[in-house]
Amino acid sequence: MFSYYLKIAWISILRHWGLSLLMICAIGLGIGAAMTTVTVNYLMSANPIPHKSEQLYYVQLDSWDVNDPFDEGKNPPDQMTYTDATNLWKAKKAFRQSVNAQTYAVIEPNDPDLLPIIADGRANTADFFAMFDVPFIYGGGWTEQADINKELVVVINKETNDKVFGGKDSVGETLKIDGDMFKVVGVINTWEPKPRFYDVTTGAFNKSADIFVPFSLIAEEKVRRSGNTNCWKPSGDGLAAFLAGECVWTQLWVELKTEQDKQEYLTFLNAYVEEQKQYGRFLRPLDNRLSNVMQWLENQEVVADDAKMMMAMSFMFLVVCLLNTVGLLLAKFLGKAPEIGLRQALGASKTTLFSQYMIESACIGLAGGILGLILAYLGLKGVESLYGDTMQGLATLDVSMTALAIILSLVSTILAGLYPTWRACNIQPAQQLKSQ
Amino acid sequence: MLESGIIIRALMRNKIGALLIALQIALTMTIMVNAIFMIQDRQQQMQRESGIDEKNTFYLTNTVFAQDYNIQVEMQADLNLIRKMPGVVDAIQINAIPLSGGGWSMALQHEPGDDKDTVSSALYMVDDHGINTLGVELIAGVNFTPNDIQWRASGQSTWPDKTIITKAFAKSLYPDDWQSALGKTFYISQNQPMQIVGVMKNLQAPWNGWSGVERSMLVPFQMESQGSKYLIRTEAGRRDELMPIIEKALAERIKGRLIRRVTTIEDTRKKSYRQHNATNKILTTVVSTLTLITGFGIVGLALFSINRRTKQIGTRRALGATKWQIMRYFMVENFIISTFGVIFGCIGAIALNMWLATTFNLTPINIELIIIGAITLFIVGQLAVLYPARKASLISPATATRTI
Amino acid sequence: MLIMKDISKIFQTGDIQTHALRDFNLTVNEGDFISVTGPSGSGKTTFLNIAGLLETYTHGEFLLDGEDVGKLNDNGRSRMRNEKIGFIFQGFNLIPDLNLFDNVDVPLRYRGFNAKQRKLRIEENLERVGLASRMKHLPSQLSGGQQQRVAIARALATSPRFLLADEPTGNLDSEMANGVMSLLEEINQQGTTIVMVTHDALLAERATRTIQVKDGRVSELEILAQQAIA
Repeated sequence: MFSYYLKIAWISILRHWGLSLLMICAIGLGIGAAMTTVTVNYLMSANPIPHKSEQLYYVQLDSWDVNDPFDEGKNPPDQMTYTDATNLWKAKKAFRQSVNAQTYAVIEPNDPDLLPIIADGRANTADFFAMFDVPFIYGGGWTEQADINKELVVVINKETNDKVFGGKDSVGETLKIDGDMFKVVGVINTWEPKPRFYDVTTGAFNKSADIFVPFSLIAEEKVRRSGNTNCWKPSGDGLAAFLAGECVWTQLWVELKTEQDKQEYLTFLNAYVEEQKQYGRFLRPLDNRLSNVMQWLENQEVVADDAKMMMAMSFMFLVVCLLNTVGLLLAKFLGKAPEIGLRQALGASKTTLFSQYMIESACIGLAGGILGLILAYLGLKGVESLYGDTMQGLATLDVSMTALAIILSLVSTILAGLYPTWRACNIQPAQQLKSQ
Repeated sequence: MLESGIIIRALMRNKIGALLIALQIALTMTIMVNAIFMIQDRQQQMQRESGIDEKNTFYLTNTVFAQDYNIQVEMQADLNLIRKMPGVVDAIQINAIPLSGGGWSMALQHEPGDDKDTVSSALYMVDDHGINTLGVELIAGVNFTPNDIQWRASGQSTWPDKTIITKAFAKSLYPDDWQSALGKTFYISQNQPMQIVGVMKNLQAPWNGWSGVERSMLVPFQMESQGSKYLIRTEAGRRDELMPIIEKALAERIKGRLIRRVTTIEDTRKKSYRQHNATNKILTTVVSTLTLITGFGIVGLALFSINRRTKQIGTRRALGATKWQIMRYFMVENFIISTFGVIFGCIGAIALNMWLATTFNLTPINIELIIIGAITLFIVGQLAVLYPARKASLISPATATRTI
Repeated sequence: MLIMKDISKIFQTGDIQTHALRDFNLTVNEGDFISVTGPSGSGKTTFLNIAGLLETYTHGEFLLDGEDVGKLNDNGRSRMRNEKIGFIFQGFNLIPDLNLFDNVDVPLRYRGFNAKQRKLRIEENLERVGLASRMKHLPSQLSGGQQQRVAIARALATSPRFLLADEPTGNLDSEMANGVMSLLEEINQQGTTIVMVTHDALLAERATRTIQVKDGRVSELEILAQQAIA
């Protein structure tokens, strides 16, 4: 019977092609718009490191001004002072811990024919690579000893390795960075987590770093800090005074295996802050936080307001398209009243008619869904070209989004078809069969 | 109109059909009005003037990497070179570029101390060529003199004792009489005195989304830093021609540094408002397709109802109705449905605006937009029903006598 | 075959009750060709709708082929219509979107015949009404008489025991009407019971039995007269 329903639906869709086209376009546009915005939202709120996002925690301490609290007291500062970050790192109370900050550097390739390049860098401690599962092609990260000894070592990404070393295994080679010779210890594969969860303070969807160097080199003035710096209290002149001051510019991540570990770490943090209070710091009430990856992304409002707003708008758009479809289907099915009456006279039961018209609705929904997918694909291309770099990699349809589009279109058209079909099934045959 | 009673009674017999159209119109209006409101809001933001001579200005970054490099001497030599070039109006070293998104902010306070109220502002470090290069208008007071300019070492925490601020900043400091700010001494970094020697008409902060975007201050500093930016203003129309020439001249003048990111202010503006621009384009697309869909929906439904009523319409014609009367019937019908739609649309538009206002910090909508939205939808409805109504009017009176 | 005992049908419009049928009694035997006549509004269409299971009745008892119709639910009635009853209408009621083959196919689909059986029946019945060569045509491409022949083919396709015809010749000229009547007579002679509603006295007389409906009742005299003749 199913194939018969399909055949009848096909004939009906073709015979009223203008109306069918209108419905398919309406659904297609609605689904296209909804899927475009849903995809952007979905990718913006994606979990960049699903297998361990629950074990990685961002640490916040409220070291801010007692007279003018950070974020009006709603949140502790989004970064940490150098003093606290290094103290907590040295305490080694977590399974793994990594202090990091954004840097930039000029690389002078060994080949004199190549021009110097400016690289975005990250200054971090050794655990960074293991914590965030950074994929290596050659070599690996440096050891904790390298951090302590302030060794001139560097991990470079594939792109830089291709540029400077022609893509060969460059582990053991030296690289001139800001005038100093660094030893390459590892080359990482392309690693562009979206969102770039490990540092959302300078753009959650920006590119990942080109080079990685030990964090301790910042204090040695071997690498230059970049990224956001926020101060509430003037510090004295010079780098040493700056580092000792109350400016926040470092980020501390810890890896904690269990809920119990997390509680213990929080207790440790609170004890640390209590201890610091003795030195006249931390005048605000105790507000130390551990946020796992998804909590942190949520807290930092990584999903842009514009994206959320447009998703709301596009769903209303879809509703309009569906109302349109309900109206057209209703008109179409009621226009078929004589046929429905006749079919009943010829032995079609309500169930039979219901299935037949639902299948017709679903066919239109499916066609609309496919059109919607195409439109969503084009829409995402459009979004990508309109927004430029910030949307790179955020505007792609994956399998689950494709499936969602089809399901959404089917479900919504079936919902839209429900009332017209119900009306069609309740047509009184006797009235329709009278000669006109 | 006499027949509106008849039309309403006929509509009541087909409540659902009419209701569906009315709902579509209502939702379309809800979305349309709010989308246009947001578009306008963004456009207003994009139209704000940065205060600088955007058309003829560009900048580049200078990154020093050589170890034996005399930053002070070389920077002065760079600037001298640029300033002497034909076609160049003026050039400065600056710490941040308006509209670029990255910069420095500091706060001023009326009295020294760590617990006093402050007003924050964007801070630009320039020399005595700053006013001329930026192309900002000094409306009160004086420019810096060459003697005011100090070298700022990297990490230095002390500040010069003079500043030039924008009128908007002066207004924030003295809400009643901005002019009284001139000559007054304020405190920067909690306790360092700083005198306001001049007031500029306007100069935007680098962050276009910041509520204090109109508050900026100039301080007489030149930076002794490995990374800095040069801002260059050219004579009208000569910017594009000079950009590569200056880039090349600087690169060739001395090695040990990189000249990068040669960018016009126009591009910076484009990039800065890219998101606004994109959102506006998307919203425009949404509104226009939505209107089209609603329009076509009305066409489709009207055609269908006319098909079903062919015989009835033929009978009316046979009984003496003119073509215009038949057309009018459908147009009045659509007008009545649109009226209901628009009434719900007004409620919907205000409700959505209230939700957006609380969720995304938008301002309340103005009434003119709602009226414009309502009129637009009436027009869309009438235009959409025109073709079906015309078709109905062409039904032959002879249809009445046919059996099927 | 068909037994109606004291069937009443009351339409309620606001406070007013309309008795379309009152205490309607009729027995139709296997192989009958009954014509039902009566003035407009006498209740003959209501009778036909109830007989065809298209409408329910208010009171009374109705047995069709031994089954109590009153005990059937909607699905049961659909099945019975499909298996036992064939319909022929004044307006032909072919589905305009479907070609002749697919039109005749409709009741066979609901019956659940397989493809081979359906094809055989469709061809056989279109052959019977002389339209086998035009199987792929749409109804709009045929004359009224041809359309009614298709409708008859469709009614016969499921081999119903019982054929209900509502003014089958009402929209046809006399020559075409004559052709359709001959076809119905032929069908009746092959064993199908036919009940035909008509207002044409000449056609009515061609039936083996004529009953008249007046004010929702079978006119007794008429029945007696007919039985006397028989």
